[in-house]
Amino acid sequence: MITTNLKKLSIGFLIAILVAITAFPTGNGLPTGITDQNTTETVIANGCTCHNTDTQATNSVIVNLTLPGNFTSGETYTLILNLSGGPNELSDGENRGGFFITASDGELSPIANDSLVQKPFGLTHLTHTVEGNDYREWTFEWTAPDKQDISVEFVAYGNSVNGGDGSQNDYWNKQAITLYGVDAVIEIETQKELSGPQKIIYAFAIIAVTLGVVVIGNQMVTKDQAFEEVLKGYWKAIYPWLTTTDHKYVGTLYICTGFAWFFIGGILGLLIRWQLMEPRVDGDFLTYEEYNSTFTMHGTTMIFMAAMPIIFGFANYLIPLQIGARDLAFPRLNALSYWLLPTGGIVLYMGYFTGGAGDVGWTGYTPYSSGDSSTTPGTDFWVAGQIMLGASSTLTAINFMVTMLRMRAPGVTMMRLPLFSWSILITVFLLLLSIPVFTVALILLMADRTFGTLYFNIDAGADPILWQHLFWYFGHPEVYIVILPAFGVLSEIITTFSRRPIFGYTSMVYAMATIGVISFIVYGHHMFTTGADPLFRFIVMLTTMLVAVPTGIKIFNWLATMTGGSIVLKTPMVFALGTVITFTIGGITGIVLASIPIDIALHDGYFVVAHFHYVLVGGTIFAFIGGVYYWYPKMTGKMMNEKLGLLHFAMSFIFFNAAFYPMHNVGLSGMPRRYATYDASLADMNEFISIAAMIFGFSQLIFVYNVFYSYKNGEEAGDDPWDGWSLEWTTSSPPPHNSFTEIPTLKVAEEEKQ
Amino acid sequence: MSLIEDLIFFDNPSIWNDFGGTSGGFGGIVWQMFIWSVIVGLLVIIWLAYNVIYYRRKDGDPDPKDSLKAGVFPHERGNTVIELTWTIAPLILVTWLTLISLAPLNYLWDVPDDDEDALTIEVTARQWVWTFEMPSNYTMPSEFTKCGGVDQEGNPMQNQPITYDCLEIPHNTKVIFNLNSEDVLHAFYIVEIGIKQDVVPNLQTLAWLDTETVSPGEYNIYCAEMCGRDHSQMLAQLYITETA
Repeated sequence: MITTNLKKLSIGFLIAILVAITAFPTGNGLPTGITDQNTTETVIANGCTCHNTDTQATNSVIVNLTLPGNFTSGETYTLILNLSGGPNELSDGENRGGFFITASDGELSPIANDSLVQKPFGLTHLTHTVEGNDYREWTFEWTAPDKQDISVEFVAYGNSVNGGDGSQNDYWNKQAITLYGVDAVIEIETQKELSGPQKIIYAFAIIAVTLGVVVIGNQMVTKDQAFEEVLKGYWKAIYPWLTTTDHKYVGTLYICTGFAWFFIGGILGLLIRWQLMEPRVDGDFLTYEEYNSTFTMHGTTMIFMAAMPIIFGFANYLIPLQIGARDLAFPRLNALSYWLLPTGGIVLYMGYFTGGAGDVGWTGYTPYSSGDSSTTPGTDFWVAGQIMLGASSTLTAINFMVTMLRMRAPGVTMMRLPLFSWSILITVFLLLLSIPVFTVALILLMADRTFGTLYFNIDAGADPILWQHLFWYFGHPEVYIVILPAFGVLSEIITTFSRRPIFGYTSMVYAMATIGVISFIVYGHHMFTTGADPLFRFIVMLTTMLVAVPTGIKIFNWLATMTGGSIVLKTPMVFALGTVITFTIGGITGIVLASIPIDIALHDGYFVVAHFHYVLVGGTIFAFIGGVYYWYPKMTGKMMNEKLGLLHFAMSFIFFNAAFYPMHNVGLSGMPRRYATYDASLADMNEFISIAAMIFGFSQLIFVYNVFYSYKNGEEAGDDPWDGWSLEWTTSSPPPHNSFTEIPTLKVAEEEKQ
Repeated sequence: MSLIEDLIFFDNPSIWNDFGGTSGGFGGIVWQMFIWSVIVGLLVIIWLAYNVIYYRRKDGDPDPKDSLKAGVFPHERGNTVIELTWTIAPLILVTWLTLISLAPLNYLWDVPDDDEDALTIEVTARQWVWTFEMPSNYTMPSEFTKCGGVDQEGNPMQNQPITYDCLEIPHNTKVIFNLNSEDVLHAFYIVEIGIKQDVVPNLQTLAWLDTETVSPGEYNIYCAEMCGRDHSQMLAQLYITETA
């Protein structure tokens, strides 16, 4: 019963969406068409000067001419020409487009009694009439020439018009098509140059096929297996990963996907640094447009496709173990959340194969992102991918919330949860309250870009900073969503390696909860220079400063935990301590930026870039790399190599600081962020930063090597290699299929003794 | 080693060169922020180093008596007095920092009235150029030679409805910039002076500058809000020239 209703409902929705899409007009035109000899000649020589604001044709306008496959002499064919793309801010349905078409042979003529198309007296081309400019599709006839062993060249010009006065924001494009007669000998075109994305795809395909042949061939020869057997073997290995709903498998998938995107995002980051190695002119390395795409994809990838998946990978793996549950509350929903991530990521990256990825910055400020000058369709892909990632996060948040509130083992009361669990609990609350807002904003933006709505259209009277409010209402809690779990990881590592309980467990929990609450009332500090209400700005300055208090409590509690302890300096601990230092620096610059007078000078500059890299890389990423070293033995049963780990830490810590610390200075010297080139006086500093960033990037390969090396050669870990206390250490490493052979009970130290 | 020098000396003159602060206590707050940052940063790093050196586990050390055990929630540790100390101390510090942010804010937001014979300039931003329009009753001082056209005899044109792509303003004057955008968001950023204000379509924003507080010379105007392809090329020159 319910299912049939659902089916009807969803079909209804689909129809409604289709109607909505077709009902929204997409463009607007010039009154009378091209009717005199002089203009005709200019159009043919220079393009559509009849109505140009821009002497260049625009790729966003797509001119489509429907022709038969070939022609027979003397026959008459009906041709259809239509336009799409270009401006779509339509006030009414009038003046939407125009066209002009010539054929090198045969005769073009309007269909009898058609008032939309005209053939000017004494000329051979066709154009639209005054009535015809309300349309973007025209139908007319063409009579083929007497000979059918020749080819005919059609040239069509389309003008996409917004209907406003004057020619501003009108765009045009042209298309030339050759039509062959049935007897024509078609010359085979000599080798066409491949486009850039095609080259990449072909190159990857060739590499993949070669690798596949080598690997499978090698297996067939060395193990003497038939081709099918080898493939079956691989299928057997992959199948459980594709179909799993087990939190440990999903968690591992999340972590691996997160780190894979982290490396892709890292490569984009290195492209940025290579571009900024010296002040370059447009196209010297990246064109300015490509640079904009690069930093957009770098930011988006790192936040949504690297940091958050790594966090939720660990949460997936560890939360059921730490609270003593066999799995999450909704395992299938969990698998759905995961699979939305790689698919959403691929959608986001599709822009690279369609002429330029999204170039609006990870913040996607309107009206730039809702207007015509941002990349099309790259930005549309960016929006669509983000919506999928938003859906994924929302589902994850609900899943964890239910799991942690309902499925705790005996003895695991709220105030006895490990601090990592607490941090995830607070994080998912923030996530559930914030990310739907962003998703809704993205849907509005998508409607603006695709269906012609006017939510963010300035000319239609939209609030120019509405997007910023919607974005940062989500965006600031988002910052804490990625840093709070890092606090959780640090708390776990520091207490374990100090060999004693955390100092001030209760105040740690309250501090995190306080950060969570405050995070919703500070977002305005991203908008100090927008011209928002001064009182609003003053209040958010105050609340932003307050964030320092709970954050300070956490840092001091960690330090107090260590004082008087028995500190074991293994790789996870070293990473945790490094994180405390870099995060403290990032936190301090955060307070500096919270002061409005200083923020006005430093806003949108490299000081800000330095600040958030110190918190996100120096905070989140370092903490979670420490987390990998800490929980890897639990996940695989093998210890990671200590020497490689310490080398990795040393390289990362030194070159991270070498790369990002000077960015503070570059920022104070006045270099704005998102600049593809800069003042020559800053060249030395930028070169230094770039080189350090490259070394920082490449030193992460040590980590990758260590992960694979230790998987094969690592020492056996045992159940509790680091002497941690929480419940994940009571099960075997790696945990059994159902996580616990028997649901454990958390004991309490005070009762133990009695 | 100029690089090392660059790292040690910050070269944004408005922020660092005069710590005393000219524009309404601005230099002062930068100085305080810097000092407190160093103090807090050093406190954390020194305490951390102290812990690592003095409490590092050596071979054969016994476990602390409250050491952790798998599956057992550990003893709660804590000391209310100490925890309250490092709640209240940062609270006082940030309250102080907020307080001293108010004076320069009061100055920044106190835009002079039109009748204070301030010079009001219409600044228009569009992808990717700045244009500056002087008021209709504006007479260009004869010392100004940097911007604008010249007439047939080579003298700077005066009393025209003038639009420039660079800007020359007199020293010792209050200048108000009325900021307008024709397309997307931009930000009006005078680099060396540290003035920044978003330029928002459909919303007029304001920035102002008392040129008495800065020395005459050449300054850069950048766009600081991502606005598309040539965002990094959206530059203009500002000249502050002394007049008789």
